[in-house]
Amino acid sequence: MFSDILFLSASTLIIASCVLMMWTKNLMHSCIYLLGVLIGVAGLYLTLGADFVAATQVMVYVGGVVILMLFAIMLTGGKDYQSKTQKILGLLPLMGSKYTFMWGTATAMVFGFCQIYFFRHLFTALEVQETTSNQYAPTVEKLGELLITDHVVAFEISSVLLLGALVGAAIIARPRKDRPAFLEPVDHHHDEHGEDHH
Amino acid sequence: MITLKAYLFISLVLFVTGLVIMLSRKNIVAILLGIELILNAAALNFVAYSKYTAANLDGHIFALFIIVIAAAEAAVGLAIVIRFFQVKESVHIDEASDLREELTR
Repeated sequence: MFSDILFLSASTLIIASCVLMMWTKNLMHSCIYLLGVLIGVAGLYLTLGADFVAATQVMVYVGGVVILMLFAIMLTGGKDYQSKTQKILGLLPLMGSKYTFMWGTATAMVFGFCQIYFFRHLFTALEVQETTSNQYAPTVEKLGELLITDHVVAFEISSVLLLGALVGAAIIARPRKDRPAFLEPVDHHHDEHGEDHH
Repeated sequence: MITLKAYLFISLVLFVTGLVIMLSRKNIVAILLGIELILNAAALNFVAYSKYTAANLDGHIFALFIIVIAAAEAAVGLAIVIRFFQVKESVHIDEASDLREELTR
């Protein structure tokens, strides 16, 4: 009963936040709606009995990734780059022109229907095999054992990946005084020569 | 009783929303938001299948690694976006065309 209520509220939060995230024009608001989606997914993990995954989701995403996104939006201005020429689709506040909106919707519909179509046998086949165990055991101890026994190689590789991502992000994003020559604007030199010729 | 189909439907909603955001927006940060939604859809599918069809916790392990990879991807991607903004003074996706052949406008 409690899990039903949690599932309904979390899925309502997810779907509403998804629609608003597509709908809003403000990129900052879109990032806040992403926060709602991530908290809703954490609630769905709780209904699935995955307590550690839910806690990790809240800590990593809500505490880390969304904050990074907000910083990036604030550092880059967060313009929505809307096309000025659209008329009817300009009322729909998706941040694109009518061509990008059309292609996005068409591709998403094709992908969604292909997913349903190809997996429809899988749905009916899995419905029979569903194990409806309502008991929720804590999973932290078993997950810890699995991470250091069966999946230890992936665990170590992910730690190396995180270290590489940390160092790489710090190196890429640092402000550089000496810009490479091909990044400098070259029109000054040519303009002076052009004026001399005139 | 909540069935597997309900979770798959939520996952489909997440996936389609992420795809629409990735394809319809022009800001690079918004495209990264769409990627986060798609990664969440995949992780939710893993955990749902792990509860309803398998009796082990391998789906949880996969979801944890997906979260780790999403964090690394967000860090590197946003670093690239900030660097791109320092160079180009814009985060429009069509500005990222330095390796492309010069177009006549």
